Amino acid sequence: MSTAELDPLAGARGTSIRTRWPFHLALAAGVALAVGFAAPHLIASVLWLSLLTQAIVDMILATSVGLLVRQNGRISFGQAAFFGLGGYLFAVLMVREIASPELALAAALIGPTAIAFLLGLVIARIPGVAHAMLTLAVGQAFYEVAFKWRELANGDDGMSVPLPRTLFGVDSGLFQSPSSMLVICWSLLVVLLLGLALMARSPFGQLTEAIRENEERARFIGYGTTLPRAVIYGISAFIAALAGVLQTLYDGYISPEMLHWSLSGMALIMAIVGGPKVLWGPALGAFLLFFLEDLAGDATEYWPALVGGTVILVTLLLPQGFAGLIAGLGRRAGERLGWGRP
Amino acid sequence: MMIQLLNGVVYGGLLYLLSVGLVLIFGLREIVNFAHGALFMLGSYIGFSIAAAFDFWLGLAGACLAMTLVGIALDAGVLRPLRKHDHMVTVLVTFGILLVLESVATAIWGKAYRSMQPPELLSGTVELFGQPFPVYRLFVIGVSLCVAGGLTAWLRYSRTGLYIRASSTDPRTTAILGVDTDRLSLLVVGLGTGLAGLSGVVAAPLMALSPTMGSFILIESFIVVVVGGLGSFSGAFAAALLIGQIHNLGAVYLPWASTMLPFLLMIGVLIWRPTGFAGKRT
Repeated sequence: MSTAELDPLAGARGTSIRTRWPFHLALAAGVALAVGFAAPHLIASVLWLSLLTQAIVDMILATSVGLLVRQNGRISFGQAAFFGLGGYLFAVLMVREIASPELALAAALIGPTAIAFLLGLVIARIPGVAHAMLTLAVGQAFYEVAFKWRELANGDDGMSVPLPRTLFGVDSGLFQSPSSMLVICWSLLVVLLLGLALMARSPFGQLTEAIRENEERARFIGYGTTLPRAVIYGISAFIAALAGVLQTLYDGYISPEMLHWSLSGMALIMAIVGGPKVLWGPALGAFLLFFLEDLAGDATEYWPALVGGTVILVTLLLPQGFAGLIAGLGRRAGERLGWGRP
Repeated sequence: MMIQLLNGVVYGGLLYLLSVGLVLIFGLREIVNFAHGALFMLGSYIGFSIAAAFDFWLGLAGACLAMTLVGIALDAGVLRPLRKHDHMVTVLVTFGILLVLESVATAIWGKAYRSMQPPELLSGTVELFGQPFPVYRLFVIGVSLCVAGGLTAWLRYSRTGLYIRASSTDPRTTAILGVDTDRLSLLVVGLGTGLAGLSGVVAAPLMALSPTMGSFILIESFIVVVVGGLGSFSGAFAAALLIGQIHNLGAVYLPWASTMLPFLLMIGVLIWRPTGFAGKRT
């Protein structure tokens, strides 16, 4: 990705947009939340509700991978580690009755965040292919632990997770019913994207983008560059862990597959197909690939070939991903209407 | 103990055959080829099918030839058109190819495990250090040593080898100096993929054949390439032997941690030296 193209908002920063962006953002988030709350009433099929819920979990995971690309300019082949770690921490703490469900949930989110932050302090210094391979190795190391350590959570076989009766005073049946879980996951995704949009516009977000564009220059101006990168790793792991906890709550089951690098690779593909330069791109990519996979999986046992073929075609024909395409079209339409560039 | 070390050399040799292909491709195209494990698997199956119909040696030759052609097609059809794109995008494309190839293998050979017998000539055992040792494993060591020797000599003493070493150090400058890196790349990717096919057939009698057989050994050869230093041939050789020993000794003496050890080694090496043992690039 050439660095000049990475700015998702380039060209959209007209004066009128800049003054009105908080309004636009709030409007978009409001509409999205309303759609989410309406969805269970509009969709009658439980199967579709369930598929949508799973798709949204994937969308959250892809968003976490996309964040690393967007703010850090780094490619991770090990994001499933934090996804799975979130799920495992929650499940193991609950099953062993080490902590109350609420505490287990908090630990499952904070643990991966802290680990990723500490790892980020080290691996953020390493660029390029070595970085991708390092994340792959770290991720696989977690996978091997979960795979081999039978006493932890049945190793290879995985473990079912009995849910507590209530979580934060809410009947936990809500987390396993598609119609309510859909609303919960979707709302969390919207809030996450809203938070990330605000962060990207904050001084911190600008700083991380500056570091991504030119680390050396950012250091010349006097900024430390490792710490902001590590914070992004932490945030990204937090989001991945959230997706992992949501999936564990919904499925009531964990297995080492949650940590496997093929899941990391899929999450990365989702982010790239969607277009990580646009905030909502990875989520869009996850949505499209999830349903492609589902349709193909129904039709043929060779769905990996279809997914692989899609990846090849999209990366060849749409290097900016689907979101890049849509954002480009939107920008062009905006310019024609006269409210793009000043 | 000596037998264990020898087994480590066998595995290290296989890893070398696979990772030297990765190094070759990385040198010219600057991409880490995720499809390499799937190409290994494809080579294995092609060798298996030809060996079942004719004999082992024909399978070995046929698989090498077929995979070399696949490699040339891969370079001309995918890697060359993508050379102006970001390298990470190309890496994702190779990931897509991996998924496609696994499905192709499933479609042709099915998901069931297959096993392949070593040829009669190599099926016995010999007495080594007071214990029986399969002749076939000695053959694997021999093949990897021959490839290592031949490749090193070729890279060192031929003009093409000089160009390949030059572009493994710095592809851009090499291209500026007038070397046709695209034509070189056809040769190199073909050779690398052919080696993946070779290692696939050679490994086939030692492991069960399945469409996903490449994924584990692929990750280990990534580790070899990164630990040895990206783009370094001698580094890959040393790292392959090291990882082979760690893999094998770990499985014997530290079974609970054996699969973790290569990852830990890689994490340690990269933090200590981001370029690996002998590499100059990250």
